[in-house]
Amino acid sequence: MQVEASASLAAAVAEKTCLHCGLPSSGRFCCKGCEWVYSLLQEKGLSDFYRIRDRGRSIRKSGPALVREDNTDLYGHLDDPAFVALYATPAEGDSGDRIMQFYLEGVHCTACVWLTEKVATWVPGAKSVRLDLGHAVATVRMSATGSFAQVAREFAKIGYRPHPVRQDDSLRLETRENRRALIRLAIAAAASGNIMLLAISIYAGATGAFAKSFEWISFGLCFPVATYCAYPFYRSAWAALRSNALSIDIPIALGLLVAFFASVASLAIGSHHVYFDTVSALVFLLLSSRYVLRKTQQEALHASRLVHFLTPSWARRKVASPDPSSAAANDRFEEVKTDDLHEGDRILVLAGECFPVDGVVRQGISTLNCSLLTGESRHELAQPGSLIFAGTLNQQSPLEIEVRAGASATRLSQILRSMEESLTRKAPIVAFTDSISRIFVLVSLALVAVAFAVGWHFGGVNEAISRALAMAIVACPCAFAFATPLALSVTMGRCAKEGILIKGADTLEKLARVDSVMLDKTGTLTTGDFEVLDWASNDLPTLQAVRAIESRSAHPIAQAICRYLARRQITSDESIRIEDFREEIGRGVSARVNGDLYALRSAGDSGAENEDTTQVVIEKNGKPIDRILLGDALRKDARKSVLALKRMGLRVGILSGDRRPAVLKVAKEIQIDPENAISSATPESKSELIQTLPFGLMVGDGANDAVALAAAYVGVAVHSGMEISMRAADVYQCQAGVAPIVRLITVARETVRVIHRGFAFSLVYNALGTVAAISGKVNPLFAAILMPLSALTLFASSTAGTRKLRAALSDKEGDV
Amino acid sequence: MSVIYLIMPIALLMGLGFLFAFVRTTLSGQYDDLETPAHRILIDDELSTPPTPNDKKGNA
Repeated sequence: MQVEASASLAAAVAEKTCLHCGLPSSGRFCCKGCEWVYSLLQEKGLSDFYRIRDRGRSIRKSGPALVREDNTDLYGHLDDPAFVALYATPAEGDSGDRIMQFYLEGVHCTACVWLTEKVATWVPGAKSVRLDLGHAVATVRMSATGSFAQVAREFAKIGYRPHPVRQDDSLRLETRENRRALIRLAIAAAASGNIMLLAISIYAGATGAFAKSFEWISFGLCFPVATYCAYPFYRSAWAALRSNALSIDIPIALGLLVAFFASVASLAIGSHHVYFDTVSALVFLLLSSRYVLRKTQQEALHASRLVHFLTPSWARRKVASPDPSSAAANDRFEEVKTDDLHEGDRILVLAGECFPVDGVVRQGISTLNCSLLTGESRHELAQPGSLIFAGTLNQQSPLEIEVRAGASATRLSQILRSMEESLTRKAPIVAFTDSISRIFVLVSLALVAVAFAVGWHFGGVNEAISRALAMAIVACPCAFAFATPLALSVTMGRCAKEGILIKGADTLEKLARVDSVMLDKTGTLTTGDFEVLDWASNDLPTLQAVRAIESRSAHPIAQAICRYLARRQITSDESIRIEDFREEIGRGVSARVNGDLYALRSAGDSGAENEDTTQVVIEKNGKPIDRILLGDALRKDARKSVLALKRMGLRVGILSGDRRPAVLKVAKEIQIDPENAISSATPESKSELIQTLPFGLMVGDGANDAVALAAAYVGVAVHSGMEISMRAADVYQCQAGVAPIVRLITVARETVRVIHRGFAFSLVYNALGTVAAISGKVNPLFAAILMPLSALTLFASSTAGTRKLRAALSDKEGDV
Repeated sequence: MSVIYLIMPIALLMGLGFLFAFVRTTLSGQYDDLETPAHRILIDDELSTPPTPNDKKGNA
């Protein structure tokens, strides 16, 4: 059957990109996986995927879906009754249907929604699949006889690796609380809107029976607002009172209760001093500001939960074979959650995967990339007996390891926990608001008393209540209490989405004060990966032979050489015959190319310990014929970003452990004064130096930077720098390079500007309101209209930020 | 103006009806995910290549 190819497919062929995922590729597809998914989609008649994908591209979030090849059955255990009992919930009604949720890796666009939900049409028993794109969670409804394992296999086939989500109480509680908050908000909105209409007709002059009935209806509408909707304020005020603390909720709760009961009393005795409109409007506005705050904070938390996916949440566990003699032939692996691994379990980790837990190698030889833990790009050899830490990347061949510690006891999870704790840390600038608001509460309570006394003096009890109420409403500190945290949480949430994790809210304020920036060289200014720096040879047969040999190896040096040769347009010819390809891990590769024996051997470090260069010697028939020098290359964006930092009035320097010539070379290229480029620094001297800068920002990645990151006024750990450096730093940045630093500082400065703007505005407003209320110029209605106006202005001001802030947050390239 | 005694309860009941509907939809979880529906609306119900068993054979 002929399938109509969309325009993008034709374009993909022309641009030499993969038909399925759009990555650069030499053929029609970049890998077997993509080809597989493509043919599967055609087979199931789902080629609309590509059309829908292009239509939704404007709202697409990031990169192509992950596609992996896998031949082992990893999902068989999903149909195990014990597993189903834990992970599935029965559907409502008596259909016997069950519901299971899967976290899907790599869902990001409209086509993903369409494709995953289509799975239900071809899996027998599957009633429906609904995807929640924001949380990347698919909800599968399955008939009593259907198989969840089959759905999971289908998800994996189309490229989204599924992880069953255990029905967790905290998640369910969060959903329930969110729904309740929304209902409270809705009731308060409906009631206050209706009461406002009635109140306006009373203020406009309705009298007699009309006024009376309107007041009673207002009371009926206000009752659920003052009780059910306002309950969170009473609860938190009561909690504060019991712990002898002054909270912003105390004057709020007091004001609401006094206003409500005073109104009920005057309604009962037939007086017209009712304030139901004020009470419900106040509750509505407070609830809506808190609802938005809650949502932004949850969003920031969700985004930071992504960090957990740095380590796989699943593992292939070896199933003990009942018959030891045939163990080798019958090795079976099952997919289990990392949390369910125990000490002594054997797991298999393929090349290109991360280790989910700490352990000891039992079988296999491979090289490891430990940059996640140490920040060093050097590669370590793993053989039976080697210790392995979670978060390390297996690079060359499968390894079987014995688990040493459960998932919650790994080094990586300890770091992640300490990060989570610090996320909830309080910022001085917030604490400053809190301390002001404490004084504020006392002062406003005193002022309410003054207003009452003044009113009593001039007009008796009604005037006293009226003025006291107006005062309580005018002084309502809600604007104060939510503007600052709102501005901070909006910025932190957006940054987390962009891959910049800011540990505490105080860090933003500190970042805004930074006056000098010290950059680590390796990994920050340079790529931290091997690149060919020098290779004199122009002998085509040799280049082609090297290309042919190295393209068979997964070693980073081999990949760097292949990248270099690809840039020089050297391709491996069809006529080249390769025999006896041999890779000795840790030493090099060798093969017979058209009869000649070529070998590429690592000559080890070419110079001193700290220089990041490596030499590879090419041998032909046992004789060395050429040398390749590999090392670290400067990042493309480094120069431009350093200039941008200087333009922002910051002093920029290099702080490196490398030798003087290497550092000076980089400094010259990015135009940093030689006196600001510090070389041969030990971890201790780095931290001593950074301490001499009272407002210094330290950017680094390796373990050798950790002390300096902790000692610095603000420490930023970039990209791969994980383990200690991440624990020590205040900011963790997933993108490498200097450009995100420029953006980070801009964002911080603008956020602090927004906060100060909010402070100034709310102080002016409250001062004016106080004078007016005590002198009796403001009646409660007037106050009730002005107060929300001020609150809404602050609200808008906090969420919108400044033009520069919006630009910096939306700018992907950090081109400030 | 006495018509107001008729209109008011009707208006309030209508409002109450909508409020009730909102509360019910909230409890049923319609507002839990506000992002995916924005994408879902882009997907046509009619496909250019409807998946039927015959098609599968034809492709294979």
